[in-house]
Amino acid sequence: MVEETPLNAAQAGSTLDTPVDDRSVAVPIVPSIRIATEPGSGRDGADTRGETVIELRDVSCYYGSFRAVKDVTVTAAKREVTALIGPSGCGKTTLLRTFNRMNDLVPSFRATGDILLDGQDLYGKDVDPVAVRRRVGMVFQKPNPFPKSIYDNIAFGPRINGFRGKMDDLVEHCLRKAALWDEVKDKLKQSGMALSGGQQQRLCIARTIAIEPEVILMDEPCSALDPHSTLQIEGLMAELKREYTIVIVTHNMQQAARASDVTVMMTMDTADRAGYVVEQGDTIQIFTNPTNQLTEDYVSGRFG
Amino acid sequence: MDPQREPVLGSAAGGAAEHVPAPRDSLDREEHLIRDAVLRMGSLVESAIRDASRALVAHDAALALDVIKGDAIINEAQRGVSRLISATIATQQPVARDLRYLLTLDHVTYELERMGDHAASVAKAVVKLAPEPPLKRYVHLPEMAERGALLVHGVLRALVDVDAVKAREIAVEDDEIDRLYHATFDEVVELMRQDPANVERGTRIIIASHYLERIGDRATNIAEDVVYLVTGDVEDLNP
Repeated sequence: MVEETPLNAAQAGSTLDTPVDDRSVAVPIVPSIRIATEPGSGRDGADTRGETVIELRDVSCYYGSFRAVKDVTVTAAKREVTALIGPSGCGKTTLLRTFNRMNDLVPSFRATGDILLDGQDLYGKDVDPVAVRRRVGMVFQKPNPFPKSIYDNIAFGPRINGFRGKMDDLVEHCLRKAALWDEVKDKLKQSGMALSGGQQQRLCIARTIAIEPEVILMDEPCSALDPHSTLQIEGLMAELKREYTIVIVTHNMQQAARASDVTVMMTMDTADRAGYVVEQGDTIQIFTNPTNQLTEDYVSGRFG
Repeated sequence: MDPQREPVLGSAAGGAAEHVPAPRDSLDREEHLIRDAVLRMGSLVESAIRDASRALVAHDAALALDVIKGDAIINEAQRGVSRLISATIATQQPVARDLRYLLTLDHVTYELERMGDHAASVAKAVVKLAPEPPLKRYVHLPEMAERGALLVHGVLRALVDVDAVKAREIAVEDDEIDRLYHATFDEVVELMRQDPANVERGTRIIIASHYLERIGDRATNIAEDVVYLVTGDVEDLNP
């Protein structure tokens, strides 16, 4: 802030008398912004980030014999928001769903390459997919609260997992974290389906948090919501990333620009119709000076 | 502080409902960071102006050299703030007042950087003047410098407060700096007429006073920016 130097010439002598050395700048004049990825420094100053949580190495995804995604090598870092962007059909949702083995539900699906969560192979022989989905939660495009009360929407998962603590406290904690508590605290017994779209989505986020995941995946979480709810969810993401690693698929580039720390740009190869990663980088860099021309064209709205 | 937002009142018939805008945390935070960086730059520029003036009055070449060196910091700060503003515009998509605010801040840092250059130019003149005794006791130039520094401070205050009235007042105070410049010019030209030995020093003094006058003009440019920010119109406050 500008110092309160008195606005008359007589008293201004105090500034004239300040020795040169005292004015050497201890605080940087301009706060640093991340242009290149630096471990441990956040876009908004948050620290203790940069550790890799999800790592994909040469990953390809097949539905039967059709290769939908090819040769992907990407990472998602701890307590960052990583956005997957790209035109329709480029495989971003397919890729997202490999992070919590949702693609297992498709019989013809097969993935090759290394898919690691905290260094462990997610698709190893002894890995229980249900356990994976406890660590890696998901929020979907269309809010899908259970046809239960608001309270039970949150309590359901923990109950199944054998939660023995105070459920009331857990429900309140999760609703507060999802910025929904104040709006629903007096109607916890009401149906979750009676809430507005934005509220339902926040309820789904609260439900996801209740099982204490490490990672929260979001598949176009705001595309069914109005602009105000969208910005609200983005504000929530900025809070949530202090504790959780977030990976979001969005076809809304502006949302990726606003809300993410790292952006992965994908597109589809017209020759073999397989999706691939064009570029992964700091969001600020992707949107101010991307390395790849395709990325530049896409974020400028010139293709896709 | 955010650019002032006026509440939109509903009609009396429908019941006056005051519309309170919700915060956009990321955008607001980045605006604050940028604004604070601009204010810190302003502080550096004020110091540079005053130091150049002190160096002149004392014919202190060492202090003048410090001012010249210090200008690199101001230049780097301007580049840094500009990058920040680019990043914020690219990633937060501001429109309306938010956009005008950021564009204003970008222009303000440009003007501050040029003011820093002017202070350094005064210091360069001092380096040349320092080996010899002053042509005459310096009266107008230190006053021009002090007024310039105060204008910088005042106009940045108007920017922070988004106060167009204050900005216009600041612009008027620049007239006094212009008057002092003309007075200096006439006085020094007379001294140069009296004795050719005075010409070199006299010329450097006129050059230095010209740069101090330019500082005042640039403060007025910033005042115009503040008016633009408030009204959305470009007004010439320095015809």
